[in-house]
Amino acid sequence: FKDDLSTSPELFTSMSPYDVDLPIETTEDVLFNSQFNQPKELLNDFSSVDLSFLPDITHDKKEQHLPEDGDEMQKEFDGSISGKEDRGTSVDESSLSYPGVTQPSPEASGVCPPLTPMTPMTPVTPASESSGIVPQLQNIVSTVNLACKLDLKNIALHARNAEYNPKRFAAVIMRIREPRTTALIFSSGKMVCTGAKSEEQSRLAARKYARVVQKLGFPAKFLDFKIQNMVGSCDVRFPIRLEGLVLTHQQFSSYEPELFPGLIYRMVKPRIVLLIFVSGKVVLTG
Amino acid sequence: MAYQLYRNTTLGNSLQESLDELIQSQQITPQLALQVLLQFDKAINSALAQRVRNRVNFRGSLNTYRFCDNVWTFVLNDVEFREVTELVKVDKVKIVACDGKSKYDITEY
Repeated sequence: FKDDLSTSPELFTSMSPYDVDLPIETTEDVLFNSQFNQPKELLNDFSSVDLSFLPDITHDKKEQHLPEDGDEMQKEFDGSISGKEDRGTSVDESSLSYPGVTQPSPEASGVCPPLTPMTPMTPVTPASESSGIVPQLQNIVSTVNLACKLDLKNIALHARNAEYNPKRFAAVIMRIREPRTTALIFSSGKMVCTGAKSEEQSRLAARKYARVVQKLGFPAKFLDFKIQNMVGSCDVRFPIRLEGLVLTHQQFSSYEPELFPGLIYRMVKPRIVLLIFVSGKVVLTG
Repeated sequence: MAYQLYRNTTLGNSLQESLDELIQSQQITPQLALQVLLQFDKAINSALAQRVRNRVNFRGSLNTYRFCDNVWTFVLNDVEFREVTELVKVDKVKIVACDGKSKYDITEY
């Protein structure tokens, strides 16, 4: 379905997820607001956005990729929400009919998906939990193509803070202090940049490495910069019963305390892997 | 073949200068001087490996590092070299290190 609400794809629309045109604001509306009424084309590209203004809501967003095609921001959306399967944390939207309706009808609200976590088949997180928990980014991995063949020995001899041991690994390992990152530079001209704490920092760091290579005399460009992975962590501040979680979410969980103390939860939508620990600490990656 | 790493040390440089003088005054051939230096390499490598027992600790902040051709090159700042007997402080030290059995070799600063 297409949303009739103002659907500017800009990141900073006046609409916050709660700030929707609703003539009557019932508690149910407040609860399901962000789920059903927000503009669907919101927030598709996070590469240079500080999202701290957003309360942490676990509603279903469209699949978000964070690639950048060259310097372009990807503003296109793929597919419609109704095409999504009802898995993981997604809400059973097919049970609701609200094309163009800004307010959930009483029937729609009545057909809301079961919220109890004891339903094995369709585990669903409560609609809009403003828990205030925002995962902190710990690591970003990105790649870029410098588009020219590189002489690694030359680079290792002349660049600072570089390691090159071709017997062990066929790339130069270079580091910079600001942003504190590590790069793997290959003779094909491709490069991996790891360790940054934000997407923008990762891009900036990759540019710095490209500049180092360029200053050494290679015709380096900056093609196809793409974020490959982001890792975040957070703390729910209460102990978690992993055994219980693996019983109710067995299709998604893998928990072997003798192997690893954390439960590995492979969320389907969004495709994220979470490492959940009894202490309440959670690591999110993928 | 032993590392020629130690030719650029106080001892190695003195030897090279002396050999150059002898070559200048035609007392030895350049080929002989080369052989002397090769023997020096063997002797110094063996002496450091076998006859040196004392231990020096050092601590400083790393400015730059490099690893290429199995040789590590470090530049440290504000370094303190500590031996049981005494303490030496320097602003900058460059360390060139080759793979050894147990000890790293330090060039002069």
